Amino acid sequence: MMNIKNFAICCIFKRFNLIENINRWPEFSNRCYAKATSFPDYFQNPVFRKEDQSKLIESSEISKLAALPVKPPAAYETSSTYHDPLVNKVINHVMEMGKKALARSLVEKAFENIKRIQIERYHLAKTPDEKNKIELNPKIILHKAIENCKPLLQLSPVKRGGITYQVPGPITDKRSLFLAIKWLLEATNDKERTIHFPEQFAWELLDAANNTGKVVKRKQDLHRQCEANRAYAHYRW
Amino acid sequence: MFLRYWKKLGRNYSQSVNFRTSENLPIHQNDKHIGLFYTLKQEKCKELFGSGGFPKSFMKQTKTFTETSIMIRQPALDIMNCIQLSDFDKPAIRYVLFGEKGSGKSLTMAHLLHFANEEGFLIIHVPWVSEWLRRVPRHKEMANSLTRDGFVDLPLDAAAWLLHFKTQNRVYLKSADLVTSKEYVWSKREKTEMGKPLLELVEHGINRVKYSCDVIDVLMSEIKILSNNKKCKTFVAIDGFNSFFYPLTRLNTPTKRKVTPEEVTLTTSFMELTKNNWTNAAIVLTVDQLAVPDDRQESYLPRYLLYKKGFEHIDPFVPMEIGRYTEKEFLSCASYYRDRLWLRGPPDVETELKFTSACNPYRFMEQCAPL
Amino acid sequence: MNVILQYYRSLGTARTLNLRIWRLNSTSADVATTTKGDEEEEFRVLDILKSRQRTKKKVTRRNDVQPDRADRMSIDQKWGNVWPGPKTFHPSSVPLPLRQGYVPKGHVPPGKKANAELMKIPNFLHLTPPVVKAQCEALKQFCTEWPSLLNSEEAIENHYPVETITSDYCHAGPTIRNPLARIATLRVKLSTLNLNKHAQDKFIRLVGERYDEETDLVTITADRCPLRQQNLDYVNYLLTACYHESWNVEDWEHDKTEEDMEYYDWDKNASKKSLVQWHLRATNMPNDLSDMDYVEYDISKIPNGEEYKNAVSSLMNNGESEETLKNYGAAVRKLLGLPEAKI
Repeated sequence: MMNIKNFAICCIFKRFNLIENINRWPEFSNRCYAKATSFPDYFQNPVFRKEDQSKLIESSEISKLAALPVKPPAAYETSSTYHDPLVNKVINHVMEMGKKALARSLVEKAFENIKRIQIERYHLAKTPDEKNKIELNPKIILHKAIENCKPLLQLSPVKRGGITYQVPGPITDKRSLFLAIKWLLEATNDKERTIHFPEQFAWELLDAANNTGKVVKRKQDLHRQCEANRAYAHYRW
Repeated sequence: MFLRYWKKLGRNYSQSVNFRTSENLPIHQNDKHIGLFYTLKQEKCKELFGSGGFPKSFMKQTKTFTETSIMIRQPALDIMNCIQLSDFDKPAIRYVLFGEKGSGKSLTMAHLLHFANEEGFLIIHVPWVSEWLRRVPRHKEMANSLTRDGFVDLPLDAAAWLLHFKTQNRVYLKSADLVTSKEYVWSKREKTEMGKPLLELVEHGINRVKYSCDVIDVLMSEIKILSNNKKCKTFVAIDGFNSFFYPLTRLNTPTKRKVTPEEVTLTTSFMELTKNNWTNAAIVLTVDQLAVPDDRQESYLPRYLLYKKGFEHIDPFVPMEIGRYTEKEFLSCASYYRDRLWLRGPPDVETELKFTSACNPYRFMEQCAPL
Repeated sequence: MNVILQYYRSLGTARTLNLRIWRLNSTSADVATTTKGDEEEEFRVLDILKSRQRTKKKVTRRNDVQPDRADRMSIDQKWGNVWPGPKTFHPSSVPLPLRQGYVPKGHVPPGKKANAELMKIPNFLHLTPPVVKAQCEALKQFCTEWPSLLNSEEAIENHYPVETITSDYCHAGPTIRNPLARIATLRVKLSTLNLNKHAQDKFIRLVGERYDEETDLVTITADRCPLRQQNLDYVNYLLTACYHESWNVEDWEHDKTEEDMEYYDWDKNASKKSLVQWHLRATNMPNDLSDMDYVEYDISKIPNGEEYKNAVSSLMNNGESEETLKNYGAAVRKLLGLPEAKI
């Protein structure tokens, strides 16, 4: 009986491997509260995910945390089954003037559009093999799209002898994530006035997830530029 | 590989809960089918709801799901049962559907329309009253009534409705029994003689938009007479009925005077229709918070939404609450969504959605959308 | 140092020698051995490191101060005699280990002696239960007997329907008068006022929220005058005024119509008309009734009509709710001969 259960759990983990991996995004630890608050150093960050909690219990580290005061989790840190840090990040990038509810609804609308497009494709596909190839989960599409848009190198301007050189160099993970989201949104906002943001965003995401489209091209352009400027690499120091 | 396996497993799981019935005729549906989905045929859909009748969001859903499925729910079955058991020689009985926003009043009405259509009723269906009185696009055709002083006509809306009426009753309008009882003179050259089929009357309204409102008025009284004479059974369905009783419409006359609903000719004809002074008919009305502006949306109960005037107009009526999903309905709906690929993820998602949507059908559908 | 050592050796007592050496080296004086040595030998050693003996100052006690009275009290004394009346706190008269006062955390509140905190607050040390009992006993001879007929709460309520409530307070402050003591409350059951329908309705409107429908009590509270007696007079005046005013019928009161929705009278409303019309149509009877006939129509002829009437009345009078609406639905279904709703 126990074995079967374990097997089932294994299966679940296998299935959600992709999600699992991406969910382990570097935790964005600066949480924003409604009012400016500061907590002493010994306040612990809240563990708000059930998986994390069970992990803590398994490794019996929970007893260390049990007696310590804990910061309250921010409004967006929920134990909901569809919580996703990256989606939160994207929502925050979409947000303007602190209108988070609007930003959230826009992103969700975009997800809905992706889903509708993909389901339509699914129904159009003839063979089961083709059907299985179609990814229906909009969140996985978002993850894929951002993964595909992340640049690996960056150009930084360096002034040597009165000339500014564009010097290629490595990029941090955080910055490349930032650039990926920024480019996606810039590409989305570069649209006709009559097309709504969610529609365009959906299309951009689908393109990027397919490794095509404006944003991926922009990334490749950057890489090409880096390649071309590799003679300047030594100016970095 | 595993991914695929799991997908297959997931689909098998969703089918293990029975959420579909092959009983596609509302007449044969009974309590055993509560919470199950039945599928409307494509042609039937086009005939009945081709020009309105389903909410917009539901239409979108049917496109994504590649089928039109309606859940069989208790209130619809209850009304069907009542209609079947009631005595049609007695005055028409009014049923009033009410409920919170998004609880499925319009879909219950659609279910009933399907039932009426199968049962051989002549259908008089108004998809959304606010479409006439509260929605004012840039070019809304309005004209002062020619026949009645101080009244306002909505010729284009009326003509569109006549077309809707025609498509819905294509089969029944052909029957030879439905003929006019007297002669109507529209103008010097145009007149409809006595004993002409109703279809001709309707056609006249569609072709001569100018007279469409008067045609509707005449049509209603003709249908009443025909029903009384047992020439036909009539099923009246009006969605957003309380819109007729809100003190003001959003219409303006050319002289910028605000129009009250009573001054619209369409209102008077449908008011006459919803009285119980005729027989051989069933009348289903919905009262909806969405049919009136925000300041009149504090409660979803009929007396509040209809005002005293409206209540007295349709009193005595049978109130029928369309509630939130029950446990069983929710489960079946969730499995239906899973089957239609609308919902995915681990089974916990359902527990959470059930909590966050409070079992409200519309909210449940909305919350599934980005998942 | 050498000299001393030589001297000691000549004496030849090894024990003393050892002792001495030890003593010289030690820093503390061994008083016992030194005195013993002194007696034996005349030579007195200059003890440099010897600490000076501090002579204790003798504390002279005054003989005329008596021990505290509180300590000398016997445990079976009569307390009423020690503390016969209201008096500021006096530490020597109270044989209790009292402490009072605010202190920082971890400290002990100061004791009773010279404690202003204890003196500030009024005390009830003169009102111990035995004293109260004794005083009651003494007062008993001046009391009349409790009326025998007022033997129950109901009887009291019946004979004395008006109840006034005031409160006395004891509080710490420079004045013993508490501002809350002036507040007077009057309570009376509305049913005891014997008002007719119109007067009762008007009375309830006049007193407004002071009337509690559940308990049927009218509660009038006054706190606007500085003295209690004035407030008491005022509440009595208010009750009297409201009572007499509620019997007055103004001219405009005759103009009240159904539209004011004071009370939904089903018989006079459109609902009855539509019911009667429906009935006539359903039974295929000719309809030639005038408006007056509708009002006077006897609905007991209509099956389930009475129930329908009650349902509509409660829907209109008690407000629309799920409950009343459900009743209405059930009544209508019965009236129209439809099957009951399934739940």
